[in-house]
Amino acid sequence: MSIKTITVEKLQDKIADGENLLILDVRNPEDFQNWKIEGKNVQNLNIPYFDFLDNEKAAESHLSKETEVVVVCVKGGSSEMVAEMLADQGYDVFSLEGGMQAWGDFYTFQPVVEDSDISLYQGIRPARGCLSYVIASRDEAIIVDPLRHIDRYLQFVKEKGLKVVSVLDTHGHADHISGGPALAKELDVPYYLHPYDGIHPIDMLPAGISYEMVQPNQEFKVGSTRIKALHIPGHTLGNITYLINDRYLLSGDSIFLQSIARPDLGGKGETWAPVHYESLKRLLELPDETVVLPGHFSSPHEADENGLYTGTLGELKQSNDGLRKVQEGKEAFVQYILSSLPTFPPQYVDIKRVNAGLLQADEDKASELELGRNICALSQAYDD
Amino acid sequence: MKADLVIDAKGLSCPMPIVRAKKGIDGLESGQIMKLESTDKGSLNDFRSWVKQTDHELLDVQEEGGVYTFYVKKG
Repeated sequence: MSIKTITVEKLQDKIADGENLLILDVRNPEDFQNWKIEGKNVQNLNIPYFDFLDNEKAAESHLSKETEVVVVCVKGGSSEMVAEMLADQGYDVFSLEGGMQAWGDFYTFQPVVEDSDISLYQGIRPARGCLSYVIASRDEAIIVDPLRHIDRYLQFVKEKGLKVVSVLDTHGHADHISGGPALAKELDVPYYLHPYDGIHPIDMLPAGISYEMVQPNQEFKVGSTRIKALHIPGHTLGNITYLINDRYLLSGDSIFLQSIARPDLGGKGETWAPVHYESLKRLLELPDETVVLPGHFSSPHEADENGLYTGTLGELKQSNDGLRKVQEGKEAFVQYILSSLPTFPPQYVDIKRVNAGLLQADEDKASELELGRNICALSQAYDD
Repeated sequence: MKADLVIDAKGLSCPMPIVRAKKGIDGLESGQIMKLESTDKGSLNDFRSWVKQTDHELLDVQEEGGVYTFYVKKG
């Protein structure tokens, strides 16, 4: 029997549409524990593929013939084998093409706004919870926080007929490898970073990459759109948020939807937490109708009905625990944040080195460093 | 290490190294040793997990020039 396969693009569509899906993950239990495919109506089941060699009906007690099953493995080989067995048993089953490797490398771009003056797109990498942005106006574009698969951005701006004028990073990232320097070089446009993040905070070494220095309150223009750099140290010392037309706030790693950024990834949480407080307090002075577009999400449940990760500042002041603490004052905030820190992922020191050009990473090394979902937020909204 | 069965799974990708291993070990007596060579990097974690779920024992793993050699004693 021939088996049905599904691409990561189609799978993302099904998840975004809220279809009921059973993901049968046939990788090792260890790999499954590290990261898995998540979504609103997604159920997960982990049975390693080698269990099916002993017993083709290893999953029988967990499956229903009414629910669609998507079998996933590391690269798409074992899932085909298991999908074939299940198809023979009469299940409605697909094998995910390219496996978790393809899922990890998948990006989708969703429009936040598209009108004559400004178009703004959220670039979503679902597997890692990373968000990047393309700001476009009158056929020009600025890309903010691009991730390392720069071909996705090149293809997107080509499809939209946009000419990129500069590439910005909100900060020196710790959880993922930035595509900023490589993308700017490929497009022959300037790459901007705040100079404080041009120093590796733990090594105390200057970056080996070249970049243009962002100045606080510096304004960028793209078409008829104005983008203002707000310097908000705390998560990093050179942390920047970009305010577009006084309305859209690309908050980077400061305000997330359910949480706030952690202040300890530079190794100086106690010193940086009060600085973080002052910065967040300044951001809270922006109008309540400001549209917050963060650099990360923690759970696919944070997406709105259009699949976008966004909320107004007014809403977040009420719903976001970290922002509520900011409103309680500095002492309460610092105490809260320092007692809520998740574990420090050791590979984040190396990722910052790669981003500063102090360490080289080939594809294998980059994949290994980026494994799993980001842990940049203070509290993680995992569902399980 | 002396093996009772040698399987060449070089050049094969997942799931074939484990499929070959399973087929091979099914034909052995308890206590006999199978040697399997694989060039699939994922085999490393898969062999460790596979033996955990069975009675077999992973005696040794060697890596040289991208070739992983597994010695598994049948349980």
